[in-house]
Amino acid sequence: MTNEELMLFLKKNIISVSCVVVSILIGITLYYRSDALPDAEKILADKAQEGELLAANIEDSAQLKEQHVAIVASNAAIDDRMIRVNQLAENYQYMYRLESETGTKLTDPRQNAWTPPAKNAVKTNFTIVNFNLTAQGEYAQILDLLRRLEDGEHYCRVNTLNLRAVSVNRGGPVTMAITFDLLAIE
Amino acid sequence: MALPLKKKSDAAAVTVPPWHPNLRIVETLPDTKVVRTAFFVNGAAMLLALVLVLLLGVQEWKLHEVNKQIDDWQRQIDRDTKQSDEAKALYADFQSEEAKVDEVADFVASRPKLSNIILRLGQITPKKIAFDSLDFRDNGFNIRATIKGAPDPATSDASAYLKQLRVDKVLGPMLHEVDLLTLVKNQMSGRMVMEIFCMYKKGGVKKP
Repeated sequence: MTNEELMLFLKKNIISVSCVVVSILIGITLYYRSDALPDAEKILADKAQEGELLAANIEDSAQLKEQHVAIVASNAAIDDRMIRVNQLAENYQYMYRLESETGTKLTDPRQNAWTPPAKNAVKTNFTIVNFNLTAQGEYAQILDLLRRLEDGEHYCRVNTLNLRAVSVNRGGPVTMAITFDLLAIE
Repeated sequence: MALPLKKKSDAAAVTVPPWHPNLRIVETLPDTKVVRTAFFVNGAAMLLALVLVLLLGVQEWKLHEVNKQIDDWQRQIDRDTKQSDEAKALYADFQSEEAKVDEVADFVASRPKLSNIILRLGQITPKKIAFDSLDFRDNGFNIRATIKGAPDPATSDASAYLKQLRVDKVLGPMLHEVDLLTLVKNQMSGRMVMEIFCMYKKGGVKKP
Protein backbone atom coordinates (compact mmCIF):
# COMPACT_ATOMS: atom_id res chain seq x y z
CA MET A 1 0.00 0.00 0.00
CA THR A 2 1.46 3.29 -1.08
CA ASN A 3 1.29 6.49 0.91
CA GLU A 4 -1.32 7.84 -1.43
CA GLU A 5 -3.48 4.80 -0.97
CA LEU A 6 -2.98 5.02 2.79
CA MET A 7 -3.96 8.69 2.82
CA LEU A 8 -6.95 7.88 0.66
CA PHE A 9 -7.98 5.08 3.03
CA LEU A 10 -7.62 7.39 6.02
CA LYS A 11 -9.62 10.14 4.38
CA LYS A 12 -12.30 7.74 3.33
CA ASN A 13 -12.56 6.16 6.84
CA ILE A 14 -11.72 9.18 8.92
CA ILE A 15 -14.39 8.51 11.57
CA SER A 16 -13.65 4.89 12.19
CA VAL A 17 -9.91 5.43 12.12
CA SER A 18 -10.22 8.36 14.53
CA CYS A 19 -12.39 6.31 16.84
CA VAL A 20 -9.96 3.40 16.78
CA VAL A 21 -7.04 5.72 17.49
CA VAL A 22 -8.94 7.34 20.36
CA SER A 23 -9.94 3.91 21.66
CA ILE A 24 -6.33 2.76 21.61
CA LEU A 25 -5.19 5.88 23.43
CA ILE A 26 -7.94 5.52 26.03
CA GLY A 27 -7.13 1.83 26.41
CA ILE A 28 -3.49 2.65 27.07
CA THR A 29 -4.54 5.35 29.55
CA LEU A 30 -6.94 2.94 31.26
CA TYR A 31 -4.21 0.34 31.48
CA TYR A 32 -1.62 2.68 32.94
CA ARG A 33 -4.07 4.29 35.36
CA SER A 34 -5.70 1.03 36.42
CA ASP A 35 -3.50 0.91 39.55
CA ALA A 36 -4.24 4.50 40.52
CA LEU A 37 -7.64 3.79 42.06
CA PRO A 38 -6.61 0.79 44.20
CA ASP A 39 -3.54 2.73 45.33
CA ALA A 40 -5.64 5.76 46.19
CA GLU A 41 -8.11 3.57 48.06
CA LYS A 42 -5.28 2.05 50.06
CA ILE A 43 -3.96 5.52 50.88
CA LEU A 44 -7.49 6.56 51.84
CA ALA A 45 -7.82 3.56 54.17
CA ASP A 46 -4.48 4.39 55.81
CA LYS A 47 -5.34 8.06 56.16
CA ALA A 48 -8.77 7.23 57.55
CA GLN A 49 -7.22 4.87 60.09
CA GLU A 50 -4.63 7.47 61.07
CA GLY A 51 -7.27 10.18 61.29
CA GLU A 52 -9.55 8.02 63.42
CA LEU A 53 -6.63 7.12 65.68
CA LEU A 54 -5.76 10.78 66.18
CA ALA A 55 -9.39 11.62 66.82
CA ALA A 56 -9.61 8.77 69.34
CA ASN A 57 -6.44 10.02 71.05
CA ILE A 58 -7.97 13.45 71.42
CA GLU A 59 -11.29 12.06 72.58
CA ASP A 60 -9.64 9.75 75.11
CA SER A 61 -7.54 12.57 76.48
CA ALA A 62 -10.60 14.63 77.37
CA GLN A 63 -9.96 14.40 81.12
CA LEU A 64 -6.31 13.47 80.94
CA LYS A 65 -5.03 16.85 82.08
CA GLU A 66 -7.11 16.76 85.24
CA GLN A 67 -6.13 13.14 85.89
CA HIS A 68 -2.48 13.96 85.31
CA VAL A 69 -2.61 16.84 87.76
CA ALA A 70 -4.30 14.58 90.30
CA ILE A 71 -1.77 11.77 89.94
CA VAL A 72 1.17 14.17 90.11
CA ALA A 73 -0.27 15.54 93.33
CA SER A 74 -0.70 11.97 94.62
CA ASN A 75 2.91 11.18 93.80
CA ALA A 76 4.08 14.31 95.57
CA ALA A 77 2.20 13.07 98.64
CA ILE A 78 3.71 9.60 98.16
CA ASP A 79 7.22 11.05 97.93
CA ASP A 80 6.65 12.88 101.20
CA ARG A 81 5.92 9.53 102.86
CA MET A 82 9.14 7.88 101.68
CA ILE A 83 12.15 7.40 103.91
CA ARG A 84 15.65 8.01 102.57
CA VAL A 85 17.98 5.04 102.61
CA ASN A 86 20.98 6.94 103.89
CA GLN A 87 19.23 9.12 106.44
CA LEU A 88 19.75 6.69 109.30
CA ALA A 89 19.30 9.29 112.01
CA GLU A 90 15.90 10.33 110.70
CA ASN A 91 14.86 6.71 110.25
CA TYR A 92 15.77 5.86 113.81
CA GLN A 93 14.11 9.07 114.95
CA TYR A 94 10.90 7.74 113.42
CA MET A 95 11.17 4.57 115.51
CA TYR A 96 11.80 6.44 118.72
CA ARG A 97 8.99 8.86 117.98
CA LEU A 98 6.68 5.86 117.71
CA GLU A 99 8.07 4.60 120.99
CA SER A 100 7.26 7.85 122.76
CA GLU A 101 3.85 8.20 121.15
CA THR A 102 2.77 4.65 122.05
CA GLY A 103 4.45 4.34 125.42
CA THR A 104 6.18 1.12 124.47
CA LYS A 105 9.80 0.34 125.06
CA LEU A 106 11.89 -0.43 122.03
CA THR A 107 14.87 -2.65 122.29
CA ASP A 108 17.28 -3.04 119.47
CA PRO A 109 15.62 -1.17 116.62
CA ARG A 110 17.88 -1.78 113.63
CA GLN A 111 17.97 -0.72 110.02
CA ASN A 112 19.50 -3.61 108.12
CA ALA A 113 22.17 -3.08 105.52
CA TRP A 114 20.79 -1.96 102.20
CA THR A 115 22.26 -3.14 98.96
CA PRO A 116 21.49 -1.31 95.73
CA PRO A 117 19.58 -3.36 93.14
CA ALA A 118 21.60 -5.22 90.52
CA LYS A 119 22.24 -3.42 87.26
CA ASN A 120 20.20 -5.93 85.28
CA ALA A 121 17.31 -5.86 87.75
CA VAL A 122 13.97 -4.41 86.76
CA LYS A 123 14.14 -0.66 87.31
CA THR A 124 11.81 0.54 90.02
CA ASN A 125 10.97 3.98 91.30
CA PHE A 126 11.43 3.06 94.94
CA THR A 127 13.53 0.70 96.97
CA ILE A 128 12.91 -1.33 100.10
CA VAL A 129 14.73 -0.96 103.41
CA ASN A 130 14.43 -3.70 106.00
CA PHE A 131 14.19 -3.12 109.74
CA ASN A 132 14.18 -5.25 112.88
CA LEU A 133 12.45 -4.16 116.02
CA THR A 134 11.60 -5.56 119.40
CA ALA A 135 9.10 -3.74 121.55
CA GLN A 136 7.68 -4.33 124.97
CA GLY A 137 4.55 -2.90 126.50
CA GLU A 138 0.92 -3.49 127.31
CA TYR A 139 -1.08 -5.34 124.70
CA ALA A 140 -2.95 -2.18 123.69
CA GLN A 141 0.28 -0.21 123.42
CA ILE A 142 1.92 -2.87 121.29
CA LEU A 143 -1.09 -3.06 119.03
CA ASP A 144 -1.07 0.72 118.78
CA LEU A 145 2.60 0.59 117.78
CA LEU A 146 1.86 -2.02 115.13
CA ARG A 147 -1.05 -0.02 113.75
CA ARG A 148 1.01 3.15 113.63
CA LEU A 149 3.74 1.29 111.78
CA GLU A 150 1.34 -0.25 109.25
CA ASP A 151 -0.84 2.81 108.77
CA GLY A 152 1.70 5.45 109.67
CA GLU A 153 3.48 8.13 107.75
CA HIS A 154 5.72 5.69 105.88
CA TYR A 155 4.68 2.79 103.66
CA CYS A 156 5.27 -0.36 105.67
CA ARG A 157 4.75 -4.08 105.33
CA VAL A 158 5.42 -6.45 108.18
CA ASN A 159 7.25 -9.60 107.16
CA THR A 160 7.41 -11.52 110.42
CA LEU A 161 5.94 -10.88 113.81
CA ASN A 162 6.14 -12.72 117.09
CA LEU A 163 3.87 -11.66 119.89
CA ARG A 164 4.07 -13.30 123.29
CA ALA A 165 3.57 -12.55 126.92
CA VAL A 166 6.60 -11.47 128.89
CA SER A 167 5.64 -13.54 131.89
CA VAL A 168 3.25 -16.38 132.50
CA ASN A 169 0.80 -14.03 134.17
CA ARG A 170 -2.11 -13.08 131.94
CA GLY A 171 -2.79 -9.41 131.39
CA GLY A 172 0.83 -8.41 131.84
CA PRO A 173 3.15 -6.79 129.33
CA VAL A 174 3.81 -8.45 125.99
CA THR A 175 6.81 -8.53 123.73
CA MET A 176 6.66 -8.08 119.99
CA ALA A 177 9.56 -8.88 117.68
CA ILE A 178 9.01 -7.85 114.09
CA THR A 179 10.85 -7.48 110.85
CA PHE A 180 9.36 -5.03 108.44
CA ASP A 181 10.10 -3.18 105.21
CA LEU A 182 9.71 0.51 104.58
CA LEU A 183 9.46 1.90 101.08
CA ALA A 184 12.31 4.28 100.44
CA ILE A 185 14.01 6.58 97.98
CA GLU A 186 17.70 6.05 97.36
CA MET B 1 -38.74 -7.97 -8.62
CA ALA B 2 -36.84 -6.44 -5.73
CA LEU B 3 -33.42 -5.14 -6.42
CA PRO B 4 -30.55 -6.84 -4.59
CA LEU B 5 -29.21 -4.70 -1.76
CA LYS B 6 -25.64 -5.57 -2.46
CA LYS B 7 -23.68 -4.15 -5.32
CA LYS B 8 -22.62 -7.02 -7.51
CA SER B 9 -18.93 -7.33 -8.03
CA ASP B 10 -17.36 -7.85 -11.39
CA ALA B 11 -16.23 -11.32 -10.40
CA ALA B 12 -19.77 -12.34 -9.56
CA ALA B 13 -20.88 -11.08 -12.89
CA VAL B 14 -18.34 -13.27 -14.53
CA THR B 15 -18.99 -16.43 -12.51
CA VAL B 16 -22.75 -16.44 -13.03
CA PRO B 17 -23.35 -17.65 -16.50
CA PRO B 18 -25.46 -15.13 -18.32
CA TRP B 19 -28.63 -16.38 -19.85
CA HIS B 20 -28.79 -13.37 -22.04
CA PRO B 21 -26.27 -10.78 -23.01
CA ASN B 22 -25.31 -8.56 -20.14
CA LEU B 23 -25.52 -5.10 -21.42
CA ARG B 24 -25.15 -3.35 -18.06
CA ILE B 25 -22.22 -1.01 -17.52
CA VAL B 26 -21.50 -1.95 -13.92
CA GLU B 27 -19.52 1.20 -13.11
CA THR B 28 -22.39 3.44 -14.04
CA LEU B 29 -25.10 1.54 -12.20
CA PRO B 30 -26.52 3.42 -9.15
CA ASP B 31 -25.63 2.31 -5.63
CA THR B 32 -28.71 0.67 -4.27
CA LYS B 33 -27.47 -0.06 -0.62
CA VAL B 34 -29.76 1.62 1.87
CA VAL B 35 -27.18 1.51 4.71
CA ARG B 36 -23.50 1.53 3.91
CA THR B 37 -21.13 -0.96 5.58
CA ALA B 38 -19.06 2.02 6.62
CA PHE B 39 -21.98 3.16 8.75
CA PHE B 40 -21.78 -0.01 10.85
CA VAL B 41 -18.01 0.11 11.00
CA ASN B 42 -18.07 3.74 12.04
CA GLY B 43 -20.87 3.05 14.50
CA ALA B 44 -19.00 0.16 16.09
CA ALA B 45 -15.82 2.21 16.30
CA MET B 46 -17.66 5.13 17.83
CA LEU B 47 -19.47 2.87 20.28
CA LEU B 48 -16.19 1.30 21.32
CA ALA B 49 -14.61 4.73 21.75
CA LEU B 50 -17.63 5.96 23.67
CA VAL B 51 -17.59 2.97 26.01
CA LEU B 52 -13.90 3.44 26.66
CA VAL B 53 -14.40 7.17 27.26
CA LEU B 54 -17.14 6.34 29.72
CA LEU B 55 -14.96 3.79 31.48
CA LEU B 56 -12.14 6.28 31.72
CA GLY B 57 -14.52 8.95 32.93
CA VAL B 58 -16.00 6.72 35.64
CA GLN B 59 -12.53 5.66 36.74
CA GLU B 60 -11.28 9.23 36.88
CA TRP B 61 -14.41 10.37 38.70
CA LYS B 62 -13.92 7.65 41.32
CA LEU B 63 -10.28 8.60 41.61
CA HIS B 64 -11.24 12.22 42.04
CA GLU B 65 -13.72 11.32 44.78
CA VAL B 66 -11.16 9.17 46.58
CA ASN B 67 -8.52 11.89 46.30
CA LYS B 68 -11.01 14.38 47.68
CA GLN B 69 -11.61 12.12 50.68
CA ILE B 70 -7.87 11.69 51.12
CA ASP B 71 -7.51 15.47 51.17
CA ASP B 72 -10.29 15.73 53.76
CA TRP B 73 -8.60 13.16 55.99
CA GLN B 74 -5.23 14.83 55.49
CA ARG B 75 -6.68 18.16 56.59
CA GLN B 76 -8.14 16.48 59.68
CA ILE B 77 -4.82 14.74 60.37
CA ASP B 78 -2.92 18.03 60.04
CA ARG B 79 -5.39 19.67 62.39
CA ASP B 80 -5.34 16.86 65.01
CA THR B 81 -1.69 15.81 64.94
CA LYS B 82 -0.40 18.46 67.31
CA GLN B 83 -3.17 17.93 69.83
CA SER B 84 -2.78 14.16 69.60
CA ASP B 85 0.99 14.37 70.09
CA GLU B 86 0.47 16.51 73.16
CA ALA B 87 -2.05 13.99 74.49
CA LYS B 88 0.36 11.13 73.82
CA ALA B 89 3.20 12.88 75.60
CA LEU B 90 0.93 13.67 78.53
CA TYR B 91 -0.26 10.08 78.64
CA ALA B 92 3.31 8.77 78.62
CA ASP B 93 4.04 11.02 81.59
CA PHE B 94 0.79 9.88 83.21
CA GLN B 95 1.86 6.25 82.79
CA SER B 96 5.21 6.86 84.45
CA GLU B 97 3.43 8.60 87.33
CA GLU B 98 0.89 5.80 87.49
CA ALA B 99 3.72 3.24 87.69
CA LYS B 100 4.87 4.91 90.92
CA VAL B 101 1.40 4.69 92.42
CA ASP B 102 1.08 1.06 91.30
CA GLU B 103 4.44 0.23 92.84
CA VAL B 104 3.35 1.63 96.18
CA ALA B 105 -0.04 -0.10 95.96
CA ASP B 106 1.64 -3.43 95.15
CA PHE B 107 4.04 -3.00 98.04
CA VAL B 108 1.28 -2.26 100.52
CA ALA B 109 -0.92 -5.07 99.22
CA SER B 110 1.88 -7.65 99.21
CA ARG B 111 1.34 -8.53 102.87
CA PRO B 112 -1.81 -8.60 104.98
CA LYS B 113 -2.15 -6.02 107.74
CA LEU B 114 -1.22 -8.01 110.77
CA SER B 115 -2.76 -5.56 113.20
CA ASN B 116 -6.15 -6.26 111.59
CA ILE B 117 -5.62 -10.02 111.88
CA ILE B 118 -4.63 -9.73 115.55
CA LEU B 119 -7.66 -7.56 116.28
CA ARG B 120 -9.94 -9.99 114.47
CA LEU B 121 -8.47 -12.92 116.36
CA GLY B 122 -9.16 -11.04 119.57
CA GLN B 123 -12.76 -10.45 118.50
CA ILE B 124 -13.63 -14.02 117.54
CA THR B 125 -11.63 -16.05 120.05
CA PRO B 126 -13.78 -17.46 122.87
CA LYS B 127 -12.95 -16.31 126.39
CA LYS B 128 -11.91 -19.78 127.44
CA ILE B 129 -9.07 -19.70 124.91
CA ALA B 130 -6.12 -17.52 125.91
CA PHE B 131 -3.27 -16.75 123.55
CA ASP B 132 0.22 -17.68 124.63
CA SER B 133 1.89 -16.43 121.49
CA LEU B 134 1.19 -15.39 117.94
CA ASP B 135 3.83 -15.98 115.32
CA PHE B 136 3.36 -14.49 111.84
CA ARG B 137 5.49 -15.67 108.93
CA ASP B 138 5.53 -15.27 105.19
CA ASN B 139 3.15 -18.14 104.48
CA GLY B 140 0.83 -17.93 107.48
CA PHE B 141 0.60 -17.57 111.22
CA ASN B 142 0.90 -19.81 114.21
CA ILE B 143 -1.38 -19.53 117.22
CA ARG B 144 -0.33 -21.02 120.51
CA ALA B 145 -3.08 -20.85 123.09
CA THR B 146 -4.24 -22.36 126.34
CA ILE B 147 -7.77 -23.70 126.68
CA LYS B 148 -9.19 -22.92 130.05
CA GLY B 149 -11.25 -25.44 131.96
CA ALA B 150 -11.15 -29.19 132.19
CA PRO B 151 -9.12 -31.13 129.62
CA ASP B 152 -12.09 -33.26 128.54
CA PRO B 153 -14.05 -30.69 126.58
CA ALA B 154 -10.83 -29.01 125.39
CA THR B 155 -10.60 -31.10 122.23
CA SER B 156 -14.09 -30.14 121.14
CA ASP B 157 -13.32 -26.51 122.01
CA ALA B 158 -10.19 -26.71 119.88
CA SER B 159 -11.98 -28.20 116.87
CA ALA B 160 -14.80 -25.67 117.24
CA TYR B 161 -12.22 -22.89 117.25
CA LEU B 162 -10.58 -24.33 114.11
CA LYS B 163 -13.94 -24.41 112.39
CA GLN B 164 -14.62 -20.88 113.52
CA LEU B 165 -11.33 -19.71 112.02
CA ARG B 166 -12.07 -21.45 108.72
CA VAL B 167 -15.52 -19.94 108.29
CA ASP B 168 -14.81 -16.51 109.70
CA LYS B 169 -15.97 -13.86 107.26
CA VAL B 170 -12.75 -11.86 107.62
CA LEU B 171 -10.06 -14.50 108.15
CA GLY B 172 -11.68 -17.37 106.23
CA PRO B 173 -11.29 -15.90 102.72
CA MET B 174 -7.58 -15.28 103.23
CA LEU B 175 -6.73 -18.67 104.67
CA HIS B 176 -5.92 -21.76 102.64
CA GLU B 177 -5.64 -24.18 105.51
CA VAL B 178 -6.22 -24.14 109.26
CA ASP B 179 -4.50 -27.06 110.94
CA LEU B 180 -4.28 -28.15 114.54
CA LEU B 181 -0.62 -28.98 115.00
CA THR B 182 -0.58 -30.05 118.64
CA LEU B 183 -2.97 -30.36 121.54
CA VAL B 184 -1.13 -31.33 124.69
CA LYS B 185 -1.65 -31.00 128.39
CA ASN B 186 0.51 -28.50 130.22
CA GLN B 187 1.85 -30.47 133.18
CA MET B 188 2.36 -27.32 135.25
CA SER B 189 -1.12 -25.84 134.84
CA GLY B 190 -3.03 -28.97 133.95
CA ARG B 191 -4.68 -27.17 131.05
CA MET B 192 -4.66 -28.10 127.41
CA VAL B 193 -2.36 -26.14 125.15
CA MET B 194 -3.01 -26.11 121.42
CA GLU B 195 -0.98 -24.95 118.48
CA ILE B 196 -2.72 -23.99 115.26
CA PHE B 197 -1.16 -23.05 111.96
CA CYS B 198 -3.18 -20.91 109.55
CA MET B 199 -1.72 -20.94 106.05
CA TYR B 200 -2.39 -17.99 103.74
CA LYS B 201 -3.86 -18.64 100.35
CA LYS B 202 -1.21 -18.86 97.64
CA GLY B 203 -0.91 -16.06 95.12
CA GLY B 204 -1.37 -13.19 97.48
CA VAL B 205 -3.50 -12.40 100.42
CA LYS B 206 -6.27 -9.88 100.42
CA LYS B 207 -6.00 -7.38 103.19
CA PRO B 208 -8.40 -8.17 106.02
